[in-house]
Amino acid sequence: MLLALLISNSVGNILVERYHGVPTEERLHWRSFLVKLGADNLKGAKNEELFVASHKSVYIVYTVLGDVSVYVVGKDEYDELALAEVIFVITSTIKDVCAKPPTERLFLDKYGKICLCLDEIIWTGILENTDKDRIKRLIRLKPPAEF
Amino acid sequence: MAQPLVKKDDDRDDEAEYSPFLGIEKGAVLQEARVFNDPQLDPRRCSQVITKLLYLLNQGESFTKVEATEVFFAVTKLFQSRDIGLRRMVYLMIKELSPSADEVIIVTSSLMKDMNSKTDMYRANAIRVLCRITDGTLLTQIERYLKQAIVDKNPVVASAALVSGIHLLQTNPEIVKRWSNEVQEAVQSRAALVQFHALALLHQIRQNDRLAVSKLVTSLTRGTVRSPLAQCLLIRYTSQVIRESGSTQTGDRPFYDFLEGCLRHKAEMVIFEAARAITELNGVTSRELTPAITVLQLFLSSSKPVLRFAAVRTLNKVAMTHPMAVTNCNIDMESLISDQNRSIATLAITTLLKTGNESSVDRLMKQITNFMSDIADEFKIVVVEAIRSLCLKFPLKYRSLMNFLSNILREEGGFEYKKAIVDSIVILIRDIPDAKESGLLHLCEFIEDCEFTYLSTQILHFLGIEGPKTSDPSKYIRYIYNRVHLENATVRASAVSTLAKFGALVDSLKPRIFVLLRRCLFDSDDEVRDRATLYINTLGGDGSVVETDKDVKDFLFGSLDLPLVNLETSLKTYEPSEEPFDINSVPKEIKSQPLAEKKAPGKKPTGLGAPPAAPLSTVDAYEKLLSSIPEFANFGKLFKSSAPVELTEAETEYSVNAVKHIFDSNVVFQYNCTNTIPDQLLENVTVIVDSSEAEEFAEVLSKPMRSLPYDTPGQTFVAFEKPEGVPAVGKFSNMLKFIVKEVDPTTGETEDDGVEDEYQLEDLEVVAADYMLKVGVSNFRNAWESMGDDFERVDEYGLGPRESLAEAVNAVINLLGMQPCEGTEAVPNNSRSHTCLLSGVYIGNVRVLARISFGVDGPKDVAMKLAVRSEDEARAACCNNILLKCKVFRKFLQNNLRSLDPLYYWCYFHNRISYNHSRTN
Repeated sequence: MLLALLISNSVGNILVERYHGVPTEERLHWRSFLVKLGADNLKGAKNEELFVASHKSVYIVYTVLGDVSVYVVGKDEYDELALAEVIFVITSTIKDVCAKPPTERLFLDKYGKICLCLDEIIWTGILENTDKDRIKRLIRLKPPAEF
Repeated sequence: MAQPLVKKDDDRDDEAEYSPFLGIEKGAVLQEARVFNDPQLDPRRCSQVITKLLYLLNQGESFTKVEATEVFFAVTKLFQSRDIGLRRMVYLMIKELSPSADEVIIVTSSLMKDMNSKTDMYRANAIRVLCRITDGTLLTQIERYLKQAIVDKNPVVASAALVSGIHLLQTNPEIVKRWSNEVQEAVQSRAALVQFHALALLHQIRQNDRLAVSKLVTSLTRGTVRSPLAQCLLIRYTSQVIRESGSTQTGDRPFYDFLEGCLRHKAEMVIFEAARAITELNGVTSRELTPAITVLQLFLSSSKPVLRFAAVRTLNKVAMTHPMAVTNCNIDMESLISDQNRSIATLAITTLLKTGNESSVDRLMKQITNFMSDIADEFKIVVVEAIRSLCLKFPLKYRSLMNFLSNILREEGGFEYKKAIVDSIVILIRDIPDAKESGLLHLCEFIEDCEFTYLSTQILHFLGIEGPKTSDPSKYIRYIYNRVHLENATVRASAVSTLAKFGALVDSLKPRIFVLLRRCLFDSDDEVRDRATLYINTLGGDGSVVETDKDVKDFLFGSLDLPLVNLETSLKTYEPSEEPFDINSVPKEIKSQPLAEKKAPGKKPTGLGAPPAAPLSTVDAYEKLLSSIPEFANFGKLFKSSAPVELTEAETEYSVNAVKHIFDSNVVFQYNCTNTIPDQLLENVTVIVDSSEAEEFAEVLSKPMRSLPYDTPGQTFVAFEKPEGVPAVGKFSNMLKFIVKEVDPTTGETEDDGVEDEYQLEDLEVVAADYMLKVGVSNFRNAWESMGDDFERVDEYGLGPRESLAEAVNAVINLLGMQPCEGTEAVPNNSRSHTCLLSGVYIGNVRVLARISFGVDGPKDVAMKLAVRSEDEARAACCNNILLKCKVFRKFLQNNLRSLDPLYYWCYFHNRISYNHSRTN
């Protein structure tokens, strides 16, 4: 299960936060844990350089893309490798939508589109689509190119 | 000076700072949402408002029920628009709002219409939304469409239906299970993601049907799996099938070739999954492990942190069970100590600590020292724990490891980290006698500058116990007395108690301690003054308070003789009144102990975390319990208490386990009983023991338990007499006997009349290992050589065919009941020979060391050469006496060997024992 997806700006303010199967009372804990993890490690990181950590039995993969930091949390079959796949889809889609690694402003300008993309990538804790071109078509309700 | 020119770009930067959602307010956005009701819909404007609503929801903002309903109804109006972009937003918005069951009806018809639309993408999205908001009744109505969708040509539609199925399986399993034919068809799909989702769903549908899963795995491992994600799932399901098939035969393990083939897959994800699956196989052999370890080793030097992390994490797990298999990767792992990712570095270090040998410890410690300064406390704790185990494994290396611990103790760190270090030092002091003095001094230095009251008081308490037993107790006094000047009241009070302990236990220090204690009489804190006064008056008293020196020590430092839990309960129920609290009214029976043991199996002693005043060690607790029973008073000193042996199966009406307490000429069985029936009270509970199969034992007394209420454990005892110092063995059958009374669960009242009843328990055996105490030595070679070979006995045994060398070693260790030393209980994979070092104390306080060399002869035949050295307490005792003790030990061995079938078989029926009485004859 993909437990959480969190996107924050460079100072740790939340831009997107989605949880699946995480009790409400634990969400705040996760938010502060992830933001602290980013603050400790992402300074000076290169775009899309992957960072990985584990906390109890869950895995966390996170990265920085332009002005935003992206964190994904998973457990069981969504281990560090599967999460790396998920985060790769997310970052490449965001880059595609924003045409470059986004500034915070650009990210917020494209907020609606990004929400649609995320909806195509992760659906209630399960990875659904992995190809950015297909996702680009799906959010415009166009069938996949190969079909 | 001219102002720098303002470039156009600077303006844009300012703009970039400005968020389009700046100052966004929920109330205002909800007002804006009224545009959804406009007769002339503006799709662009509507999309913008939806984006704002999404932003609010993603920020953790919540809508009240009324607000959510209002927005939901407004959003449903947007189905009228034909704008595609807006429609996609509407789908997302409905999912985010998760309307309640009574509201869903509003959109159902629109969604059903979309679900039958000719536009594929409408269908896919409508399926996802419907499945998100639907309930069981609606699901039956749309089931037909969903089944069609699963096999739809459009992969997006098929995936939407399949992923919906995965979610719906949680809430409506019966319905989803009916789709298995369609899902089966989708597994064969040429679209990679459809196959992935179908495989996940099909496995979930059939997960309880082993045969079906096995068939699924068999067909797919032969066919083609298109996506790496699906291949990973398949590997997981394959290892499940292997695990459940229970085959541990080497060479022909089913599906191993498939797993091994996956190690050459082009996707890293698949390679890892296969490597991990191989390392987790039950009873994996080193031949099977090698290819997996090789690919993991390659990934250790990958440029991608995720791959390095995954590799080192897997190897770390392997190192727990097969340390030797990982040693080839040690060089690669050493380079990971400097990895920027601290998780990777910590995993590398802890793996190295597990796989390292004695000679590499110093080098490793050097590397770790540099590493420790720049990792977080949580990682440091893991490293400290690994170092503690390493030190217990290689006690000879205690000096460098203890130095390392004391160095990191001086550095900055939080409470948990410092506590972990202090706990480790305490454990090392307890387990490695040579480390005691240096360890205590490190702790003393630490409390000179310790900011944690808890740790200071615990260390002071520990110093009070261990310090007086050292060669020069006076050197600790300065550190302790410094606390009286420099610390807060809690620590000062602890320091006073510790000083008093030194005074009481070391006569030569007594006058000097008195001078110090008198100075404490002027302390500003009541507790500190009270303690000082008490100690001065009792220790240096004129006999008016207590009579003798022994009484003083018992009074001041003896334990309370009662379980603290009981004392705490009694104190809580005590109501302040004229009548003082009577400590004799506290029950002495240890009630919760057996349950606590069951709940925390394998919990390690936690150093200072378990101070002697709090939960006593199990042996101490048993000793206290037995000494509180007058009938056992003349049995002498308790030699050993066994671990509890379960006499009932789990979840039976009455749960009973037994502990065997061994005395010199007596054995006491302690039956820990728990009544698990709420409406029953048991009274007069005893165990009737039949000892006809234990000839040397004679029952001397049985101590019944008066009552056993529901879920409150209690004990009953039966004591036997046996010949003094003889390791008598035998089998005892047990029957629980009691009077059962009904309890009214509502009022808690018990009926007056009861019925006598019996309950058959499992048999209990006293075996020779019960007469052996596991007592380790810090340096086996020294101990062995210092004991000398004058009293050595060497025998050789053929153990016959065994499953593996490791299994034979384990069996012999278990039946001897001795403590393996220096990690020699671990047998490297595929070894043909192994030497195991054991140490113990045999009944009669005879120190025994054993060096056992095992060798595999032929295909599986294991031969064993057992060399035993034993010492006399006085050393000067005559040779005969030692021989006698060796004979006793020999008998003990023979008794034990008889209990292990194949050993017995070979030793006695085939008469293949060859005694090489090396020196003793």
